[in-house]
Amino acid sequence: MLEGLVTKLADTPWSIALHESLYMYAITESTHVMSIMLFVGTIAMVDLRLLGVSYTKVPVSQMLSKILPWTIAGFALLVITGSMLFLAIPIRTYHSIWFRLKCLMIVIAAINIAVFTFRVERDKAAWDLGPVPRKSKICAVISLSAWACVIVFGRLIAYNWFDCDSITSPTMAELTGCPLDPG
Amino acid sequence: MSLYHTAQNIEASALGQTIRESTWLFPAIESTHLLALAMLGGSILIMSFSILGWGLKTPVADLYKSAHRYLNAAVIVLLITGVLLGISEPVKLYGRQAFWVKMISLAIALLVTYFVFNPLVRRGASGPGLRSVTVLTMAAWLLVAMAGRWIGFS
Repeated sequence: MLEGLVTKLADTPWSIALHESLYMYAITESTHVMSIMLFVGTIAMVDLRLLGVSYTKVPVSQMLSKILPWTIAGFALLVITGSMLFLAIPIRTYHSIWFRLKCLMIVIAAINIAVFTFRVERDKAAWDLGPVPRKSKICAVISLSAWACVIVFGRLIAYNWFDCDSITSPTMAELTGCPLDPG
Repeated sequence: MSLYHTAQNIEASALGQTIRESTWLFPAIESTHLLALAMLGGSILIMSFSILGWGLKTPVADLYKSAHRYLNAAVIVLLITGVLLGISEPVKLYGRQAFWVKMISLAIALLVTYFVFNPLVRRGASGPGLRSVTVLTMAAWLLVAMAGRWIGFS
């Protein structure tokens, strides 16, 4: 079903226009990279506070209320530009193992954020300026690792090592949704 | 010896060849470059937002104590990985306008950050002067990132 949707997407004038445009694709890609500075940069600083290693003079509650809105703005920019990049090259990206791993990491990071928001930070008044509890450190490490993976896997989408035309193992065919064609 | 000739010599060097011919080396260095870029963004922005009144209420000099470590680490990693990337394809870079735009904006960004922005923040300065320097610093680094990505397209 997804495969059909992606194929339809590739045939839309929007996709073709983005793909063939001289400047729009480059502008979108560059904006995506600059938004990483805003999104991953700010979330990393929040994580370093939640880890208890930096910005210890800043109350955790203030770090969350003043910095996370910027993180969310960065995320919005990344989703918009990221969707445009996907729209420009839908079929190849859909089958990319790196894109799939990147999505998996985003899901892991999102679950981590949900756990943090609904469980871990509930009693933050008790550790706003004191030593951070272990649960906060665990969330911070998961967040830092997951977003680092998102950056690396995202960058690797550009490489064609595992594109459909070079898939020869059944496992990789399964993981990428590519047809297995040894020729 | 012309600059172009130097670029050719660097391209022919053993290190340049190794990075260029390896499948994984260039992407790995490139990814590390991007991770450090995110760290640079975070450390500059957390101070900048506070200076511009859009962020933390903690005195900026206190933020600097943590932020400057990440800034320095990010700049060092960016320079090392950037040089390695450059060594692998200097002839291509020589001919790309985006590369020269990046190098000029990088020089400006480094000078403004280390000789104006950091000293002002460290001694707890405030006012419109610092705010202007902050906007200039952010703009310079954004241009570096944008021009950097553009090298791949031009």
